[in-house]
Amino acid sequence: MSAPDPLAGRSRAAAWFATFAAYVVPLGFILAPMTLFLAYSFFSVDHGDIVFSPTLANYVRFFTDPVFQPIFWRTCLLCLSVAVLCVVFAYPVALFLTGLKGRQRHAVLVLLLVPLLMSYVIKIYAVRSILGGNGLLNRTLMALGLIDEPSMLFVFNLNAVLLTLTVLLIPFAILPIFLSLETIPKALRHASADLGASDLQTFLRVTLPLSLPGVASAMSFVFVLAIGDFLTPQMVGGQSGFTFGRIIYSQFGTAFNWPFGAALSVILAAAVICAIALGGWAGTRRQTQ
Amino acid sequence: MTAPTTAHATPVRPARRVLESPMKRIGTALLVAVTGLVFVLLYGPLLVPITSSFFTVSHGAVDWSQPTADAYAALTRNESVLAALRTTLIVGVSAVVLSVVIATGLALYVASPEAKGRRFLQFVIFLPFLMPPIITGLALLIFFREINFERSILTVIIGHTVFVLALVYRTILVRLQSLSGSLVEASYDLGASRWQTFRLVLLPNLRGAMAGGAILAFALSFDETMITLLVTGTQSTLPVRLWAMMRLGFTPDINALVTLVLLFTTALCLVAVRFVAPVQAAAGGD
Repeated sequence: MSAPDPLAGRSRAAAWFATFAAYVVPLGFILAPMTLFLAYSFFSVDHGDIVFSPTLANYVRFFTDPVFQPIFWRTCLLCLSVAVLCVVFAYPVALFLTGLKGRQRHAVLVLLLVPLLMSYVIKIYAVRSILGGNGLLNRTLMALGLIDEPSMLFVFNLNAVLLTLTVLLIPFAILPIFLSLETIPKALRHASADLGASDLQTFLRVTLPLSLPGVASAMSFVFVLAIGDFLTPQMVGGQSGFTFGRIIYSQFGTAFNWPFGAALSVILAAAVICAIALGGWAGTRRQTQ
Repeated sequence: MTAPTTAHATPVRPARRVLESPMKRIGTALLVAVTGLVFVLLYGPLLVPITSSFFTVSHGAVDWSQPTADAYAALTRNESVLAALRTTLIVGVSAVVLSVVIATGLALYVASPEAKGRRFLQFVIFLPFLMPPIITGLALLIFFREINFERSILTVIIGHTVFVLALVYRTILVRLQSLSGSLVEASYDLGASRWQTFRLVLLPNLRGAMAGGAILAFALSFDETMITLLVTGTQSTLPVRLWAMMRLGFTPDINALVTLVLLFTTALCLVAVRFVAPVQAAAGGD
């Protein structure tokens, strides 16, 4: 119930614009493409032309063809390993961060988050330059006398994808764990100490269990980012580092089977939704206990 | 209640600290060590291209004997890189302007009481942010093909806008919701029109959030590779150009370009952190 409007024409234009922004852009440029994409997964291809009649053939092919499922599960396992590795590195950092105060804490937090906004492609390139046959890692190992010639264990295979993704995604795991550690009341730790628990006991029985929601969301975060990534496996994966994202891309590029590629993407989206739901569920379940 | 507890705790704790100090010290040392290792993992790789950008490379081996800025000089003559830089800036600025304008309208609409389908709209806006970029990119690719929209710089701008919209929207909405409703009511009571209220009351209050969102959006757009790779026509942005160059191998001008891009994104990021987390920044600055 506002005062009468002296500039009714103008405000109507503003209201019209707000409605336009609210509906046309999200519905026209996000929902429409996504829906069309979903619809495409039920189409098929005949001699390079897309047949616009609904069929489940693409999904049947994914579940019956012996090629695609193993790559899908292998990619899931890879991304789960990345998530576990990221948490292993991120947890101590987050714990260290909660011990800091004021300006120090802010500085370390910013330094840990700055790499998030650094160019992703460049970071992949940088990590590859270290892992490569002629890279820093190999040269260091050779200088230390641990190996005699450049090892190809760390480049153009799944190990390389695993290591690169872990290095790139650690910052994404630090933040949720740090936030959940922050919400634990100090009084609980003090109470534990007053009751005679050692620091290690307090950590294992109080801090760690209460921070598990943060660990769960960190893991789902990292998993989602890793499974959706295409650039890293393409850049460091080589022939044996074939992941699900690369299969999808190849369906649009070399194979030119867009409907099948769309169906594979829908399966990828389903995996992403499962991971987000699982992370959210694990988080809330812990909190209610 | 609190006073007796602390009074009771004070004499106990120093004693225990003495007893357990070796273990505690090991724990702290472990945390410092892992944090240090993570810093090395995050920043170490970036030092390799930065240092090698100042030396010449021949036959895959770096000549460490004397530093040179040759790679940077070569970069200023590299037409394709300069063109990519131009495209990146055009796309970034367009996407930022579009997304800030649309996100502001969207936030005002969602915050208004007469909004319909609020949750659904939010869900749709966040889709490109939740879904892997490859899905957003492919969805747009199919969409543009079906509506016979030629792939060009325009499709890249649309792709980037759609991608950064959620972030800008979120930044503005949070600020909008923290504004007191009485501010707007007072403006109406004093006889201001909706437009005047927006321009004189809401806009000045939202400016910080809009600037922060804009910087973040620009940083995201500047780095976006996957969607661009899929929806671009013949023009490539800097990350896409880098992507193409890197797959061919290591050359000094890539390292020089990498160094410059890193410097730029880091600066951008530090400015964005200042804007988006003004509370923490203020606390840290004191």
